[in-house]
Amino acid sequence: MVVVLLLITLVCSAAVGLVYKVTAEPIAAAKDAKISGAIALVVPTFDNNPAENPMTKEVDGGVMTVYTATQGGQVMGYAVETFTNEGFGGTIKLMVGFLPDGSISHIEVIEQKETPGLGDKIDKSKSDFSLQFEGKSPADFKLSVRKDGGDVDAITASTISSRAYCDAVERAYNLLQTIKR
Amino acid sequence: MSKFQLFAKGLIKENPVFVLLLGMCPTLGTTTSAINGMGMGIATMFVLMLSNMAIALIRNVVPDKVRIPCFIVVIASFVTVVELLMQAFVPDLYATLGVFIPLIVVNCIILGRAEAFASKNTVFDSMLDGLGIGVGFVLALTVLGGTRELLGAGSLFGRKFITGDGILIFVLAPGAFMVFGFLMVLFNKLSARLNPKAK
Amino acid sequence: MEKKLIISPSPHIHGVDKTSRLMRDVVIALLPAFAVSVVVYGVNALVVTGLSVVSCVLFEFLIQRYLLRGPLTINNWSAVLTGLLLAFNLPGTLPAWQIVMGCFVAIAVAKMPFGGLGRNLFNPALVGRVFLLISFPVQMTSFAPVTRAATDAMSGATPLAFVKEALKKGMGLDQIMPDLPSYSDMLFGFRSGSLGEIAALALIVGFIYLLWRKVITWHIPVFVIGTMTAFSGILHLADQAHYISPLFHLMAGGTLLGAIYMATDYVTSPMNTRGMLIYGVGIGLITILIRVFGAYPEGMSFAILIMNATVPLINKYVKPRRFGLAPAKR
Repeated sequence: MVVVLLLITLVCSAAVGLVYKVTAEPIAAAKDAKISGAIALVVPTFDNNPAENPMTKEVDGGVMTVYTATQGGQVMGYAVETFTNEGFGGTIKLMVGFLPDGSISHIEVIEQKETPGLGDKIDKSKSDFSLQFEGKSPADFKLSVRKDGGDVDAITASTISSRAYCDAVERAYNLLQTIKR
Repeated sequence: MSKFQLFAKGLIKENPVFVLLLGMCPTLGTTTSAINGMGMGIATMFVLMLSNMAIALIRNVVPDKVRIPCFIVVIASFVTVVELLMQAFVPDLYATLGVFIPLIVVNCIILGRAEAFASKNTVFDSMLDGLGIGVGFVLALTVLGGTRELLGAGSLFGRKFITGDGILIFVLAPGAFMVFGFLMVLFNKLSARLNPKAK
Repeated sequence: MEKKLIISPSPHIHGVDKTSRLMRDVVIALLPAFAVSVVVYGVNALVVTGLSVVSCVLFEFLIQRYLLRGPLTINNWSAVLTGLLLAFNLPGTLPAWQIVMGCFVAIAVAKMPFGGLGRNLFNPALVGRVFLLISFPVQMTSFAPVTRAATDAMSGATPLAFVKEALKKGMGLDQIMPDLPSYSDMLFGFRSGSLGEIAALALIVGFIYLLWRKVITWHIPVFVIGTMTAFSGILHLADQAHYISPLFHLMAGGTLLGAIYMATDYVTSPMNTRGMLIYGVGIGLITILIRVFGAYPEGMSFAILIMNATVPLINKYVKPRRFGLAPAKR
């Protein structure tokens, strides 16, 4: 009885181990592709692999990562993986692209659990909400919704999600400023 | 029971979702769109078919007393394999289905078929049984997901038919219960009409 | 002689005539609130209410006639009441097709599939409202501004939503108090909100009529309102800057409409006083919890629906002691 159970467990774990070995590489590749894909979406052209030397920093109890995109040694922009815990459905993760002068180029949502049809409009594919940030520099573009006296047009009936989005972008900007200094 | 019946009974007569009411957690949790429902269904179908075959294969060497641990080990291994494969090759679908993939282990359809069918039948018959029940599960989840997507977002398989939003409640949790209840009514009505003798 | 005495376990089902009298009385009790909504929101209130009542009756008629094929039940006034209550829970600006959809859900999802009046687990009007609220949050929370009530700061927001918004921003209550409608405005209906909830006074007049006609007893409304007062009062005393006064909680939102007209629905509330106590306290607690700590500004309808779900359980465990029986010894 024990022998049979032991044998079955052995065979199964061997099989799982084998599959793990085989898939380890594609999984890592898929993760890399996702990150570099997101980076490519938010910063202008570059010829290095920004995912190779990320700079991680712990801020407000979460981990943020800064990827530097260069072309011919010249810095083309920064992609900051940022987060906020203020979302309606908890954590929202964004990839925010900055140009060297500190203005925002593009923003992509990496992970969000906002209400479908309302808060999930922060995603570029669902509404144009995120477009209003493009080309703005947080230095003179106040990153909070109009209701709170900022410059951001909130999503209708989703003030909380909009606010959280601003919070994440602002956190990314602040981190970038401290690093650049 | 002919080989064909072995396969076909899972589609309507013993449909795991609408008749047996098994595996409700992924059924209600993942069917926010047709593609999610289908992905979940197919992942479950693979595990079900493979585990049914494996269990039928080892059914004569496994002592009765430890059969449940053995079944679970086999099922869990297949689930892990499927999970790793999905992570590697369909990362987007894996990201949406998230925690529900590892939870296939505790899907009662799978252990139920292992215990009720695979442990007493040949490998080939068990495969047919797993395939039939699996296809029934895929169909049910796709229909459920499709209906919810159509009502809740105005699209089907990601293709949008309307501008703007749908009736949001249908892509949220309460909508799952409502659609499920009404689909079950329809399903029972249809199957009663298909074989009136069953009563 | 032997047929005179009918012995049966409760619930004692009312005859059809009686049902229609009770339902008609509730409708009459709601008329003052309806009048206020017409004064405040004008012709919109008429259109929304009319459409809602007509569609509810129509859906019930169609389902009864062609799906259930039973005796017609629409002349018991219950569909009229459902339509009226649903309309009272909607903003006056809701598009017509959404109103009709809400009626469809109320009748064809919440009421008839369970077997019609008397067997439905949840209050149909509230199911319709919550369905619409979750499905169309933008339309369901945009109210036409009421001229006298609103300063610019809160045009079109209900007082509850306004307070929640301000507190989330980190403002203290003392900063926003001047922008809130005064209690007398809230009493007479000069504030934004759903059609039937805006005039506290009209709802109270209806309550008195219902008590006088013995349509409802005082228990559930008093338990609900008492719990809300106690709970929000404790919070208010603990921190005056962040928890608004109990009086505001009672006047704002759907407190009175819910406590008097919807929590007391015969079918979906418990049958005896102790049961009503549990039920009423539960509604009060959940409402304040949602209002103060939850994501939605108003929690009355959710609270009633949640407690509706517990009613079969309450009825099962809270039974009246049998007459003449000694209480069980522990």
